Amino acid sequence: MNAALGFLTVLEDSDQNLFGGYLLLSLAGRPLEFHCTTPIRPNRAQRILYGPTLEPFLFGELIGGTLYRKATTVPGVVCTDVFAAVCLREHVDVPVVLVLPSEEMEPSGDARPVPRSEGPSAAAAAVLRVDAPHAPRPPLVEFCWRANRLAVPARGGGERDLILEQLAGAEELLDLAEPFERIRQAIDEARGGGR
Amino acid sequence: MREQPGLPVPDPVAVISWVAPPPPAVTSEHLGGSAPEVVSLRTAAPAPPRVESRPSAVTPPRTVSIAIGRAGVRVRSFGFAGAASGTAPEWLEGAAEAEGVGAAPPRAERPLSGRRTRIAPPRDLVKLEDRLHYLLQPPLESLFAERALSFPYEPFPYQFEGIAFLYPRHAAVLADEMGLGKTMQAVTAIRLLMRRGEVRRVLLVCPKPLVTNWQREFALWAPEIPAMAVEGDRVRRQWQWALDDVPVRIANYEILHRDEELLLAGAGGAAPPPFDLVVLDEAQRIKNRASATARAACALARSRGWALTGTPVENSPEDLVGIFEFLSPGLLSPQMKPRKMGRTVSDYVLRRTKDTVLTDLPPKLFREAQLELTPEQRATYQLAEEEGVLRLAEMEQAATIQHVFELVLRLKQICNFDPATGASAKLERLQADLEEVVQSGRKAIVFSQYVRTLETLAANLGSFHPLMYHGKVRSAERDRVIGRFRGDPRCQVLLMSYGAGSVGLNLQFASYVFLFDRWWNPAVEDQAINRAHRIGAAGPVTVSRFVTLATIEERIDRVLEEKRELFATIFSDSRPQQRTGLSQEEIFGLFDLACPARAA
Repeated sequence: MNAALGFLTVLEDSDQNLFGGYLLLSLAGRPLEFHCTTPIRPNRAQRILYGPTLEPFLFGELIGGTLYRKATTVPGVVCTDVFAAVCLREHVDVPVVLVLPSEEMEPSGDARPVPRSEGPSAAAAAVLRVDAPHAPRPPLVEFCWRANRLAVPARGGGERDLILEQLAGAEELLDLAEPFERIRQAIDEARGGGR
Repeated sequence: MREQPGLPVPDPVAVISWVAPPPPAVTSEHLGGSAPEVVSLRTAAPAPPRVESRPSAVTPPRTVSIAIGRAGVRVRSFGFAGAASGTAPEWLEGAAEAEGVGAAPPRAERPLSGRRTRIAPPRDLVKLEDRLHYLLQPPLESLFAERALSFPYEPFPYQFEGIAFLYPRHAAVLADEMGLGKTMQAVTAIRLLMRRGEVRRVLLVCPKPLVTNWQREFALWAPEIPAMAVEGDRVRRQWQWALDDVPVRIANYEILHRDEELLLAGAGGAAPPPFDLVVLDEAQRIKNRASATARAACALARSRGWALTGTPVENSPEDLVGIFEFLSPGLLSPQMKPRKMGRTVSDYVLRRTKDTVLTDLPPKLFREAQLELTPEQRATYQLAEEEGVLRLAEMEQAATIQHVFELVLRLKQICNFDPATGASAKLERLQADLEEVVQSGRKAIVFSQYVRTLETLAANLGSFHPLMYHGKVRSAERDRVIGRFRGDPRCQVLLMSYGAGSVGLNLQFASYVFLFDRWWNPAVEDQAINRAHRIGAAGPVTVSRFVTLATIEERIDRVLEEKRELFATIFSDSRPQQRTGLSQEEIFGLFDLACPARAA
């Protein structure tokens, strides 16, 4: 079990600049490392040519991958609250888990598939293609860890046990959604907006 | 994507095609408004066309490449693993484990998504890495849970905010209104800093009567942290100051002044290590920058300084300048306008009032008891005032503020009791009110600024079994008096002087407060009232302010109102700027006298 947890999120400002933030916490929830990107703005060619694969590329591979490699601590699991960043898993050796909002939380302890029909770019996808990028999102397997609601892509569902194992040593009251709030504040501070 | 200008159009590939025969005829018949029925006749499948191909020279299309590009991502990195925080002294970790103190309540009972109080870095913290160090900390509630720090009572949300305010600050004023728990917030912030290894050597300075109170509060809110009172003769104190392994020392202001040399030079002549934190309780005690106490406090070597006071401005904005000379020398100057002063200190001062944070606290009800002097008092009063004013007028330039104060004192005492006959309109009213208080089974505190008045009251209120708490009561006796007032159902009235009883005492079991006479300073009156109106008060607290009409008391009352406005100007942006302080002119003006030129 690694003695750290990674938290990755991506913010977008009103000028469509993206800011990635990656926070490494001890199992007690204390900060170990923080990394954030300077603003990233995909150009028009990238937007058109990547199409709906742009967000997974930007969030997961480009931002997530860069931040992950920059850190000196290897976490047991990377948590993200951005669906498109889950594909970071394809570029790193540790499991990546999506932290779902907790308002409709019903801790059951059971793993169950959660059909996700809308993608992050659903609104923009006025014209649908029938190949993979515009297909409905792959189903997620949702599960609970203490009072946290988590999910992994169904095809990665086998990692659920690994993720639970990595989380086992974490502080009991750790709310996995809370560190993203810290990252947002820290990014805001790093951009000079916090003072 | 923009159109690519000049994009070449490839030559068409030459193809010879077979053209299908014309389609067979279709006959349609319209049937009276309904959808037309279509009758299609299908011909037999045509024979496969014959295709003839012949080679043709094809020119390959020209290619235009558009680079998608993969921009490099620049990353800013910050590391915290090596930060000093996070490691408590060994004795502290050991004590907590061995004694089982601070065991957290069962986790299942604690809501995960409950309250989250975040620590925000102070504005004067410049380095981004330092600011992020605080921003990225878990919520305060998690820090306590992580360290298994429990509380005897669940703190209020505003108290968590107060702890989060103090925790990252190296200079701070916690200026909460009396009764909101400044002590608890300071103790808990110290506890957290100590458990995280950020402070190891703390000095707490408070008024002498509050030393035992602070020890009690430490035992209650931070039982694993020993707090030692510095007291006794010089030899003993010298030994106490020199001890290495004392995490928290509590000293009173007099000792701080007396031991200034010891603190500066150390027992053996070598300078003692600086304190990690020095906390001044009732910090208005250093408002006079020239005082020996203020100098001694400012001379203490320390890396953090906090001031606790419900009344950072008692008389004039200079009071705040004095406190900041300890916290952040040079930040304020006496020449600053109150509004600018308020803006300058806004990030250093946290001020909450009961009205804003304790909506559940029982109400505080004010009754202005405006009384006519008895005929005997009026006659004596008029004579004394006429004589006094006449004497001041005759003194002309020789008249000083001291002379005016003497007259004020004389007149105020007459407002309390006629010296010749003992007649007192206030006493009559007080007796009537206390009858009601006693019959209801409740308790009352009567404040006066004069011990002599309290003694006269005690002589006249014997049937109520009053207790006395004032400067002439020995320190050792005072705790016993409070204990009796709290526990003895027959003792329902406590006669208390503003000086001895206005700070630090918890008398929330009293439902009535009588201000028999008025103090010069509204903040002191507020402190007195808040002995009873504080957390734990079971019901509303009724405050009766006695003011005799057409006397010096009424005039002083107007001045007090102006002082309240001054306070509001500094600590609120929403109030208009008012006059500041009680000037010499205003003091002479109480008797319609012109102020002599620069009378001292």
